[in-house]
Amino acid sequence: MWAMIVKEFRQLRRDRRTLAMMIVMPVVLLIVFGYAASFDVTTIPTVAAGPEAGQVTHLVGEPFHVVATEPSQGRAWAEQQLRDGNAAVAVVTGDGRPQVLIDGSQLFTAKAAIAELSAAAAKAAVHGAAAGGQATPPGSQPQPVVTVLYNPDLNTSDIMIPGLAGVVLVFVGTIITSLGVVRERQSGTLEQLAVMPLKPRDVFLGKIGPYFAVAALDLAIVVSIGVGLFGVPFRGSLAVFALGALLFLFVTLGIGVLISSVSENQGQAIQLAFMVTLPQILLSGLIFPLSSIAIGVRWISYLLPLTYFNEISRGVMLRAEPLSSLWQPFLFLALLGAIVFTLASLRFRAYLAPAAPRGGTGSPRSAQKVTSAASAPSGSAG
Amino acid sequence: MTAPGAAGSAGDWWGTEDVCVRFGDTLALDHVWFRAEPGRVSAVVGGDGAGRTTLLRCLAGALAPASGRVRRPGPMATGYLSAGSGIYPDLSVTENLAFRAAAYQIPPQEARERGGELLARAGLDRVGDRLGGQLSGGMRQKLGVIAAMLHRPALLVLDEPTTGVDPVSRADLWWLIARAAAGGAAVVLATSYLDEAERAHDVLVLDAGMVLASGTAEQIVAAMPGTLTVAGARPAGEAGRRAWRREGRWRVWDPTAGDTAGTIAPDLQDAVTVAILARELALVPAGGESR
Amino acid sequence: MTELPVQAVAVTRAFGHFVAVDQVDLQVRPGEVVGLLGANGAGKTTLIRLLLGLLRPSGGEVRLFGEPPSRRTRARIGYVPQGLGLYDDLTVDENLAFSAVAFGEGPGAAALPAPLRRYGGTVVGALPLGVQRTAAFAEALAHRPDLLVLDEPTSGVDPLARARLWETVAGAAAAGAGVLVTTHYMDEAGECDRLVVMAAGRVVARGTAREITGDARISVVEAESWAAAFGALEAAGLPVALVGRTLRVPGAPPDVVRRALGDVPAAVASAPATLEERFFELTLSSARTEAPA
Repeated sequence: MWAMIVKEFRQLRRDRRTLAMMIVMPVVLLIVFGYAASFDVTTIPTVAAGPEAGQVTHLVGEPFHVVATEPSQGRAWAEQQLRDGNAAVAVVTGDGRPQVLIDGSQLFTAKAAIAELSAAAAKAAVHGAAAGGQATPPGSQPQPVVTVLYNPDLNTSDIMIPGLAGVVLVFVGTIITSLGVVRERQSGTLEQLAVMPLKPRDVFLGKIGPYFAVAALDLAIVVSIGVGLFGVPFRGSLAVFALGALLFLFVTLGIGVLISSVSENQGQAIQLAFMVTLPQILLSGLIFPLSSIAIGVRWISYLLPLTYFNEISRGVMLRAEPLSSLWQPFLFLALLGAIVFTLASLRFRAYLAPAAPRGGTGSPRSAQKVTSAASAPSGSAG
Repeated sequence: MTAPGAAGSAGDWWGTEDVCVRFGDTLALDHVWFRAEPGRVSAVVGGDGAGRTTLLRCLAGALAPASGRVRRPGPMATGYLSAGSGIYPDLSVTENLAFRAAAYQIPPQEARERGGELLARAGLDRVGDRLGGQLSGGMRQKLGVIAAMLHRPALLVLDEPTTGVDPVSRADLWWLIARAAAGGAAVVLATSYLDEAERAHDVLVLDAGMVLASGTAEQIVAAMPGTLTVAGARPAGEAGRRAWRREGRWRVWDPTAGDTAGTIAPDLQDAVTVAILARELALVPAGGESR
Repeated sequence: MTELPVQAVAVTRAFGHFVAVDQVDLQVRPGEVVGLLGANGAGKTTLIRLLLGLLRPSGGEVRLFGEPPSRRTRARIGYVPQGLGLYDDLTVDENLAFSAVAFGEGPGAAALPAPLRRYGGTVVGALPLGVQRTAAFAEALAHRPDLLVLDEPTSGVDPLARARLWETVAGAAAAGAGVLVTTHYMDEAGECDRLVVMAAGRVVARGTAREITGDARISVVEAESWAAAFGALEAAGLPVALVGRTLRVPGAPPDVVRRALGDVPAAVASAPATLEERFFELTLSSARTEAPA
């Protein structure tokens, strides 16, 4: 039995990927759950509109953090700020009671805001009672009218399902694609493809095309069930949503192909795909709100593509956010997609035939002269 | 020199001229000259690591050499059986052939007829729906060869089609090979079985990327330097390094073309063994480790 | 040693309705090399597994060193499977150390033979096939087994390396071990003291290569255009094999061949069959006598 233990250790020592998983993963999870996993909201971005906007800054304390005041603007502007994700709470002052608008699509922030306002109202009532039983004692502020926009019932499913859409795309794009491409390497058919009269571009696109289609279908199913069965609203533009999904798919499929190009078998591909996917699920704002993730760890979130797609899918589905205010995530995904996809197709090409002759295919070719230089083409042993 | 569409025109040949291939620091092919002609079967023999697969990959177009020239007819007129059969384990026999037919642009009707005929003759006609991964080794190799020759290539390159394959399947494979050659293709096959090399029209012997011998089996045997004698046991001393065991007795090689009394007539296996041994002895001086 | 390394009597093994091994008698005596030949599906692998104790026979008896297969008999066997049985991600030394302990020797007992010493610290997966095979042999022989079972031991290896592997096998036999080898390579049949040929689960021939080939004869065709002759014989439904530029037709006498050739100019003669051709004939005829499934 001891010999068996020694042998397993020796094999494990050489299996770098499994080692990485066994050591790195718990550390990552520790960091995440230590610094990131929190439902506590410490800052609530707030905007103020209307004539008494300036006063709002003094009247509201932590955790509300006023980021803009526009005395000349009214409710319409305030709603737009919420729609565009610039703030989670808007205070509109004017005639009568101030209106407080809360963005229900930021679930935990909204709940925190409501809790704060309820606490303040309770305090004012106590204050008023202590001052002699009047509902609105002189000198105190009138009670605001609180309205929760976009997710008035504060349903969890309403915000989870748009997030789930992103997870589906990550899953099919990264994990499934990496398996599908590695399978070619494992079955030894990759070399056949290199020799056949097929253009590498055709092989690449033909290989990932079905995964593209399946991912799109999956997405449609998830959204339809969400809308149809769970009553999740779809308030925004289908076209914007589809465009965002398309860009995101380029990124995830590209990552999937890159993973397969550095994996020798499906086991390795799955390991790497898992290590790439798990942080995205935990740190992209899908479960734990971004604002509650400690700043020291949050920079990781801003590198993850899923973070940006979550913004797009929640913004479009719940708040009808237009393309114009979503330009940041779109730009990020477009750039990342272009880089990743190009890298993936280049690596796939090299992967297909490490030192294959360049040039046209399908035409009869005669003598092919390749003169040697000081350099030698690199490649794996034949 | 343009490649013709139809195989068999006079003056055509495929092969390599002074080809070198490097992988990192290793020279996998070292100034290799090789020639394969239409209607003939050429065998490439040598042990593992000798460079057979590398040479075949150059011929098939999967690899470009660092120097030298490769004459090949282009992807549409080349058929290739890679070392791992190149058959998709999760597609059926019929689906595998359908994919090849589509990739080589063979009209579906013609593909069906030719495929059906070859499958039937190779004993695979009743397993059309069986998945590639469920076939036995011999059946998978047969399917691989059929897939490689489906489009009637001018050059058919087969990497160890019969290694590990049972004798009955091997007979079927050789029928397919003969059929391809009869149709005018130049067939190049890598093999570690010397009895198969003897069946080919000509043989190329590789060791560590270098050509040790080439020509017909008779030419190679005739060109073997020195003489062979047979002994009952491995001789002592220096002569022992020039001996190897075969069928219970020991062959002893004498490099000096001395007197021929008591010598035996070598066969191809002897000539190839001598070639490999000669190179090994030249590399490792007396007192060094044997391989 | 009064008990034979291997004594199999009327061994049968069925999987459901499929009889993989059918009434097979087999013996291996100490110091002899027995070659087991057979097509895929002939039952060789199943028989090996029965002999090693990995499977139980449905009928008949398997005795190793006079007793049924057990862990004790396993310790006296050296086995090299087709896949070599080495861990690709361990070095040669580590593989041998593990195996030595598994067979009850101290880990230091595994001393590498001279040709392998410089590969001792290399991971097996990085070694050329010939060296891997040598290492697998060394591992199987390290505990000085009384029975050596080798499955396709020299597949894919050059003639000189093959001769050296056979030298190792002969050495083990000379030291008293019984050796059972399976092979597809007819040329190696000559390395064995005697052969056992299996087809469709049964033994269809025994003896030396010469005894098995016997007086079987085939027809040899030499033609100006072998391709034309090939086509003609094919059309007549005769099995044809290409060897160099001649054609060999097993199972058909010269006059039948001449008639099939028609007016294709060719010289037809009779010649002795090779072991492979005789084997082919045996396998085919046993397949024909089988009732269809």
